[in-house]
Amino acid sequence: MLNEERIILMTQMASYEANEGKKNVAIGSYFRSDYIGWQVLKSIISATIAFVVVFAMYIFYDFEIFMMEIYKMDLLEFAKNVLFNYLKTVGVYALISYLVYSFRYSRAKKSLRLYYMNLHKLAGMYKSGRS
Amino acid sequence: MTTLLVAKQILMAIYSKYEVYITPLLKFLLALVTLLMINSRLGYMENIDKLTVVLIVALMCSFMPMNFIVVAAAAFTMLHLYKFNLETALVIGVGFLLMFLLYIRFSPKDTVVIVLLPVCFLMKIPYVIPISMGLVGTPASAVSVACGVMVYYMLHYVIQNATVIAAMADEETAAKLKFLIDGLLSNKEMVITIAAFAVTVILVYIIRRLSIDYAWTIAMAAGAVVNIMVLLVGDLMFDTNVALFGVILGTIISFLLVLVLQFFVFNVDYSRTEKVQFEDDEYYYYVKAVPKVTVARAEKKVKQINTQRNARPVQRTRSTHES
Repeated sequence: MLNEERIILMTQMASYEANEGKKNVAIGSYFRSDYIGWQVLKSIISATIAFVVVFAMYIFYDFEIFMMEIYKMDLLEFAKNVLFNYLKTVGVYALISYLVYSFRYSRAKKSLRLYYMNLHKLAGMYKSGRS
Repeated sequence: MTTLLVAKQILMAIYSKYEVYITPLLKFLLALVTLLMINSRLGYMENIDKLTVVLIVALMCSFMPMNFIVVAAAAFTMLHLYKFNLETALVIGVGFLLMFLLYIRFSPKDTVVIVLLPVCFLMKIPYVIPISMGLVGTPASAVSVACGVMVYYMLHYVIQNATVIAAMADEETAAKLKFLIDGLLSNKEMVITIAAFAVTVILVYIIRRLSIDYAWTIAMAAGAVVNIMVLLVGDLMFDTNVALFGVILGTIISFLLVLVLQFFVFNVDYSRTEKVQFEDDEYYYYVKAVPKVTVARAEKKVKQINTQRNARPVQRTRSTHES
């Protein structure tokens, strides 16, 4: 027998899964630390690529002067400077992405609470339908 | 006002009924306008500067996700710039790459602003975007708006200096790079516009969330005023020669446009007809959920102007005459 109430509930849940809940359901399948760790790792990779690109542009910008001065400059100091700037950039970016993704995770979990409640309700409906 | 409300209801009804066609059509139009504008301003590569190519790509955009328009626009821009000059393509490409790596992967929802803003700049109404993003977005939208402004000014700089760049000899790679990077980084007008738009987005967002009457309208008006103020103060401080009349007129037109948008788009829940599929142990369900939309049309009052021909009143009149 078709149960109208059950179909309405299932339709609402399917609609949530297909639209606004799509991302939340995906996020909800991770543990908090796994999700945030993975996203921060991706951010660190992005920031590293961005830093390399900017650094390359910086070198190309004054390439001739750089090539002339490379023999005079303290290369160790230069490398230290670059490394320090790299760590600073990546650190700040990783911190920002940690905050953003922590917020997104808790928001997704909050949004999924109603979905899980409906899931329980649906399971209850099936149980009472069979007994 | 009642007529407007009825119009809104009718629009909602039409949208929920024909959403399948209306959304792709809007995407198609946005992609078409964007690509035509890119071709008209940058048309260096003849192979893609053709209406047929633009139509095909716009048609593809209509059934792809919204962000595909951004990808298509970026690809068209890069191809034109590559044909124009390799160094220019390199610098602009690095700009795009940095935006993608550092920001766009964070908030893919706002990405379309990066395309919309340059289009609005060319229509002389860029102020629509910061006010709108303040109304529908979050304070983080200020970064999307800033990216859009950067894209516009980067391309604007290239278009303005196209003859200078083209005149430089092929061997002068380092000089070209320096010229481009210097020009892009020392663009004070861009910095002031970014500051003005960022302040506008954040201010509009803060005011529209206040629990006061007409919060949205006050937010829009305050955003428009602050936008003009910051642009003018920036102009006085850095002497950027901002066209005062243009800014004020553009802001007023933008304010009116946002007012219309707010009434018909932002505050309305265009709930769509949805088709979902699911199954349980007994059945497969293919459900089409249609939102209930009631169109409240204006009440029709029937005013009777002919004399009533009932028996009783006539008799009463007679009796008064008789008495």
